[in-house]
Amino acid sequence: MDRRDFFKTMLATPLLAPLLLASKTTKNDCELYLIADDPQLFIPFLLKELQKFAVPYGRNFTLLNSHPMEKDLKQILFQTGWRYAQKPLQADLCFSFSRLRHKALPSFTLVRDGRIWDIRFQKLDSLWREMKKNRKLSSCLTIASFKKTRLDLQAGKYVSIYKDGRRIERVSLDEYFARSFNTLRGKITARVKDGKAWVSESSCRQKICIYSPPVSLAGERIICAPNHFLLEIQGTHTIDTVIG
Amino acid sequence: MAKKLTTFLFVLLSLIVNCRLTEKWHTSTILVFDTVCEIEIFCSPSKFKSAQKEINQIFSEIDVHFSPGSEDYSSSIVLNLFQRALEVYHNSKGSFDITVASLSRLWGFLDKSSHVPAPHDIQSALEYIGMEKIEEENGTLILPPAMKLDWGGIAKGFGIDLASQALIEIGIARGFINAGGDLYCWGKNPDHQPWNIGIKHPRRSGFLGVLSISHLGAATTGDYQRYFEANGVRYHHVFNPRTGYPAQSKQSVTVIGPETLLCDALSTALFVSQNPEEILEKYPDYGAIIVDSDGNLLSLGKAYPFRSME
Repeated sequence: MDRRDFFKTMLATPLLAPLLLASKTTKNDCELYLIADDPQLFIPFLLKELQKFAVPYGRNFTLLNSHPMEKDLKQILFQTGWRYAQKPLQADLCFSFSRLRHKALPSFTLVRDGRIWDIRFQKLDSLWREMKKNRKLSSCLTIASFKKTRLDLQAGKYVSIYKDGRRIERVSLDEYFARSFNTLRGKITARVKDGKAWVSESSCRQKICIYSPPVSLAGERIICAPNHFLLEIQGTHTIDTVIG
Repeated sequence: MAKKLTTFLFVLLSLIVNCRLTEKWHTSTILVFDTVCEIEIFCSPSKFKSAQKEINQIFSEIDVHFSPGSEDYSSSIVLNLFQRALEVYHNSKGSFDITVASLSRLWGFLDKSSHVPAPHDIQSALEYIGMEKIEEENGTLILPPAMKLDWGGIAKGFGIDLASQALIEIGIARGFINAGGDLYCWGKNPDHQPWNIGIKHPRRSGFLGVLSISHLGAATTGDYQRYFEANGVRYHHVFNPRTGYPAQSKQSVTVIGPETLLCDALSTALFVSQNPEEILEKYPDYGAIIVDSDGNLLSLGKAYPFRSME
């Protein structure tokens, strides 16, 4: 994305500074600024591309103020599987509308955490170029705000150690702990220090457990299959299980 | 007569109520497919025992037919899974291939002698790769000499599908089975929400993000599960069947969809393929969370609820 063009357009409006500041402080994951008199033509493609970046989480949208193309926008969103949410709090995606003081070439920009998102290597770039080439000057600015989808998981409180499917130890993560356990296939040593737990020695062949980085977040775990050994961090967490 | 009937109904009702009241969450871990398998299900203690028996039976059968070194090429379970593997082989243009066993052996992943083989040895091994070289005659798979099968990229998912289906059939309405990186979950979690499945970060501790799903399978293939480093290069166990070298363009691929078997096979196919979108077009009910070799997070195909921690 050509930053100069974006700033030139946005500086023509009184919106830039408050928008960048807002994206730093609000609970939005990402904001899409679209300058186009007919946003419904571009929104479905933009949403599809954004989905590749795990944005957004759900499929509910709402409109925060009245939009000149409201009817068309809603229709195209319904057709692409979006549902209308009456309350902004229930929406994963909120649209708002602003009239530009000076008309500008159609274009769009993505802002995440107060920074402009570089889209040069994505399909989005070709859409952006096409928009600028073929469209007449527009005065309609549509802002699509995606609710924050990122999770803040908490640090765990305890580490539970399981051998042969049974819990054999429960240690506070605040403690210093180092112990070796005899297993059917040999021996394994678990350690806890500074709120983190890890496996420091193991008689297993592949040593995957030793290469696993120390764990500290509730729900995280280290598994040593040959030793039938599981080390799991416990605490208030939203994770039921882990894959990968 | 009426009194007897009332007593009978009362006893029956008490039994049903009692059975419901004793339902609780049960967890267990067992060792299958060379990994620790976690099971969490909501049921009565007696049903939990039946469930454990079912799971052990199914996983033992999978182990007998599909563990490394098994040379069963004619039982119906093997022929059935072979057809499913062949379908993914064709749809992925060979990115998923169960004949890569000779590469795993050559690179020393099977006997702890990990090393980078000589290029001419890799070229020779490639001659024994390609599922189209296998023929089926009179209900038996005919393999070219020296070809071996590696069911590791599909059998675990298959076993999980069979086991979870068996548990659902005996009336267990909520739970999950997680064998290493492959999982199936159904019903609601203990908080009456969809199951929250953390996906391990491929490069550091913590999670890549959390999936919130139910009645779905998920499987992850990563370059961090089994690997060795030589001259500063990471060589892992997911091979590109065309080159004979570990596939390089991704760090991890998680596939979500209705069948764990397909999630399992597709996670390998997408990991290897240079064009994962094209493969997913053939599987509209499946979606993928991908971390490319630069660490960028991408989501392709059908979108399932996923919250990133990046």
